[in-house]
Amino acid sequence: MFLKTLELRHFRNYETQRVEFTAPKTILLGENAQGKSNLLESVELLATLKSHRTSRDRDLIQDGFAAAHISAEVSREVSDADLAITLREKGRRTVSRSGEKLRRQLDFLGALNAVQFSSLDLDLVRGGPGVRRTWLDTLLTQLEPVYAYILGQYQQALKQRNALLKQDDRPPDTAQLALWDAQLAALGTRVIRRRSRGLARLVPIAQSWHSAISGKTEDLVLQYASNVPLTEDDPQVIQAAFLEKIQQRAIAEQHQHTSLVGPHRDDIDFTINATPARQYGSQGQQRTLVLALKLAELELIETVVGEPPLLLLDDVLAELDLKRQNQLLEAIGDRFQTLITTTHLGAFDADWLTRSQICTVQAGHIMTTP
Amino acid sequence: MAQALVDAKSQMGYCSICFHLSAEPVCDICKSNSRDLQTLCVVADSRDVIALEKTREYRGKYHVLGGLISPMEGIGPEQLNIGPLVHRVNQDNIQEAIIAISPSIEGDTTTLYVGQLLKPFTKVTRIAFGLPMGGDLEYADEVTLARALEGRRSLD
Repeated sequence: MFLKTLELRHFRNYETQRVEFTAPKTILLGENAQGKSNLLESVELLATLKSHRTSRDRDLIQDGFAAAHISAEVSREVSDADLAITLREKGRRTVSRSGEKLRRQLDFLGALNAVQFSSLDLDLVRGGPGVRRTWLDTLLTQLEPVYAYILGQYQQALKQRNALLKQDDRPPDTAQLALWDAQLAALGTRVIRRRSRGLARLVPIAQSWHSAISGKTEDLVLQYASNVPLTEDDPQVIQAAFLEKIQQRAIAEQHQHTSLVGPHRDDIDFTINATPARQYGSQGQQRTLVLALKLAELELIETVVGEPPLLLLDDVLAELDLKRQNQLLEAIGDRFQTLITTTHLGAFDADWLTRSQICTVQAGHIMTTP
Repeated sequence: MAQALVDAKSQMGYCSICFHLSAEPVCDICKSNSRDLQTLCVVADSRDVIALEKTREYRGKYHVLGGLISPMEGIGPEQLNIGPLVHRVNQDNIQEAIIAISPSIEGDTTTLYVGQLLKPFTKVTRIAFGLPMGGDLEYADEVTLARALEGRRSLD
């Protein structure tokens, strides 16, 4: 797939800006805080309807304006798509595809796929479980858009159950709590199964990239670590285990007034040679792992969707040493349309630069150098 | 026009039997003799009654809960007209209670709750969810299709 044009209005620090992408690689060059990452963020929104930087639409709108617009033309193998998102300071966002307003946001997903790789991604190894859950959820949303709906349903049931546990100091009505337990277990089981299934598909690809990059035969293992015991992949068995676990934690839940069992507290374990990746090796080795994960994401999306997704590299090349940089650039080739942000062109291969479109970003304005 | 709005506001109340919007203490549907007295349709809101009435398919009576269970909004079963519903089903020899509540998280939870309470007294059913008329199977989303499969029935 190829992102042909992108138009931003009152988005972050952009007043009105139209960009036409003319090469498989676009380098966005500029000092810090000029709007490079904002542009990538708008593409991320088109692909996932989420930003990894904020969950509030208000933050995405230029100061002093009531709404922001993002629109794009995407060319796909089968058909082209015109995408548009309107974000509002007050009220719900609206999305449209080829001029038609969509009633459900779910129908918007899948028109554009993108993998983002930023310096923050080291948190996948070093950060808390929430970072890893968000990463897997974002990937799953792109592999199977219906997952966004399933996850949303689970989160809604979780919010309702937490609200019930927070009511007053008296223990909640047991009949009502039992119903929310059942909802949480039924919906949570779907989330758990989709997550572990998705991760299982990623594992072999990540392993082969990992050994290719590190040049060693290290034993990389990615495991979905659920707090509900997963003995077999049968929804009824998992649901029963889920409910049993809720029973075990009932007193703790009443005490802490929050739900303690479910996929919202799960993690993904990365281990290398039987050692948790967090404790294993240098920063360089952790970067190798993250790079392997990102390349595996690209490949998996390409396999499932049938077309290569976009790659968004946010300030990340500078962090990789030359060897890893070359491995990344080689893996991308010309197959994946890539948007790269950088503060200087020094680190790039000369041959690469001549084949790339270079855009200068300055204070919310983008100038294309031919 | 302004007076009409004022009148509407001052005269509007709820039916004392089914809790549907009504200008009088008992609404027209509850007063009617020509309707099926043994079938009761449980809905969340008066608007649902109006929507179902438009179909002209349903000849039973209604019961309006006045909302859905939602702890986030502080709405528990005791804030809804559930007590009077159980009483009605128990007293009026209701043969079937049809729950017609939207398939949201809150709707499903309310359906389960009401269903459990009514089961000892009567047959409880739930409306089916599935493909819209004129909809094409091929273009239906997974969520709708899964619901439609759940609610399948045998060909007679």
